[in-house]
Amino acid sequence: MSSTSTTRSTVAVEARGLTVRHGRRAAAALDDCSFRLPAGRVSALVGPNGAGKSTLLATLAGLLRPSAGTLTVLGAGPAETRERIAYLAQDKPLHPQLTIAETLRMGAELNPARWDAAYARAIIEQGKLAPGTKVRKLSGGQRTRVALALALGKRPDLMLLDEPMADLDPLARHELLGTLMADAAERGTTVLMSSHIVTELADACDHLLLLGDGRIRLGGGLDDLLLAHTVVTGRGTPAELAPHLVVESRAAGRGLTALIRNDGPVDERWQAEPPSLEELLLAHLRSPGTPALITPGTTAAPAAVTR
Amino acid sequence: MSAAATTAPVRRALPAPRGLVWTVLRLHRTALWIWTGFVVLTAGLLLWLYGPGAAHTQHLLDTLGYAGVQQDAWAAGVTGTFTGTYNDLFQDPASLLNISSFAVALFAAGTLTSRELENGTARLAWTQSVTPARWLAAKLAVPALLVTAGTSLLVLLYRMLWNAHGNLLLAGIGPRALYFAIGPATVAAPLLGLAVGAVAGLALRRTLPALAVAGLAQYAVNAFRANSWPFQGRYQQPELSVRSRAITSTGKEIPDPGCYDSHACLARHDVVGFTRRYLPSPDYWPRQLLETGVLLAATAILVAVAFGVLRKRSTS
Repeated sequence: MSSTSTTRSTVAVEARGLTVRHGRRAAAALDDCSFRLPAGRVSALVGPNGAGKSTLLATLAGLLRPSAGTLTVLGAGPAETRERIAYLAQDKPLHPQLTIAETLRMGAELNPARWDAAYARAIIEQGKLAPGTKVRKLSGGQRTRVALALALGKRPDLMLLDEPMADLDPLARHELLGTLMADAAERGTTVLMSSHIVTELADACDHLLLLGDGRIRLGGGLDDLLLAHTVVTGRGTPAELAPHLVVESRAAGRGLTALIRNDGPVDERWQAEPPSLEELLLAHLRSPGTPALITPGTTAAPAAVTR
Repeated sequence: MSAAATTAPVRRALPAPRGLVWTVLRLHRTALWIWTGFVVLTAGLLLWLYGPGAAHTQHLLDTLGYAGVQQDAWAAGVTGTFTGTYNDLFQDPASLLNISSFAVALFAAGTLTSRELENGTARLAWTQSVTPARWLAAKLAVPALLVTAGTSLLVLLYRMLWNAHGNLLLAGIGPRALYFAIGPATVAAPLLGLAVGAVAGLALRRTLPALAVAGLAQYAVNAFRANSWPFQGRYQQPELSVRSRAITSTGKEIPDPGCYDSHACLARHDVVGFTRRYLPSPDYWPRQLLETGVLLAATAILVAVAFGVLRKRSTS
């Protein structure tokens, strides 16, 4: 419990120039990433396969050593704050030879200062799982539930979840997401979760990080990012949309539909609509060349608050 | 936190293992049972050799002298138990101890380390409130303690057996090798196996290559212990002196008259009994301590390497 109550700061994660390589000569999986995650927000981590989402989460969890840059998690280096961080890996590793009850016991034994047994048990009971069942006998979704119980039972201040809901059925997904959000709201837990399921993100998250090719492409509050973009339809060419930045444009009938990054009000001859989250993400995923947009609250401070 | 707060004092009052120790014991429960089974069975074999198993051969030694020992050793199946003669069975615990040090190396390379790295459960531990270094320390310390306790018990029983019945062994390289092999170094060998396996597992991170490398390395260690390396040619076990006498009816000790199994001949020489024992060698402790020192030094180096490799692989 080294620094639990020292800093109730507003910044959960701050990364500056964060670069991570898997092997000395490999291409960077994370390339010069600078961002900050405000505390208490539920952030979605989005990006195409191989964009570096899992690498980022594992690095924040203190499992990978950055090859360059600085990283502050909950006011210290990630390895020093591991007590307060929960990490759920994408493949949900668990010991197959343990029962569910023993898995939770392990959580209690390895987190003596923080473990909330009743809470972890409630998550298991919600899924109607018998505590005596061996992990080896569980289905993929059931394993995910046990892994989440282990992560949440720790009562973390920062939760790093790598595709937490991927193999859950819709009902379980809804339940667990509800549990997660209630916990985050009640305790002010910061959550960063990667996902491919955009609807899930739109419901659950209020903050977004979009990764592409190891770089942050979009970062900020969901509403801010949506407000900063507009879907326009009308007759004309993409060039006529200046000074707005055209993220993506497509021919639609005789005119075009484009997702633009607003620079002032949009000319009235264009029909303007706010984009959906899905439109925003897809447009950016399809146009890797678009300059990054990181809102001020998500930008890392230039001066060093070094660890 | 409330539930944890109420249960914690109760559990702390119990002398049960906690934290990482509990975790290591629970995760490797099967290995623990196998090890316990090995120690119990081998101890049982040693005790049997010490007690009832020796009776027949002892009787032959008492009545016929060394000729009786030979007769027993060459007549396979006389003892009727297990597969071999007393002379053969006497060597079996040494083979089992050798195999166990090999098994410990494979366990450390596979189950203990590389399997956890391969399937991600090591990361699961490292994202609890446990640093990788503490994780590895527990992973090495708990098995090391159990291995030391188990092998120490077996080595003590083996020395006890040797002192009581070493004289029932056929002379030659067998008893000599056995005498010089069993001691503190027998305890150190599986500890080195543990370190060898841990380094292989952590460095290679995949089960099969780690098993292969650890197996080969520990095989080399065992070959070193058996003085099988070419460079060890000048460091063979020294001779082991045996004192063998026949006892006459007057209690006088005379040299063995060489009657083999002829009772008439024995009567003619007035022999009523025999005494035979191996004399303790002054080379035993220097050799044992040197070997133990080498093994433990190698163990210490490899443990340091294991922590170094882990440090590179994680952010401890």
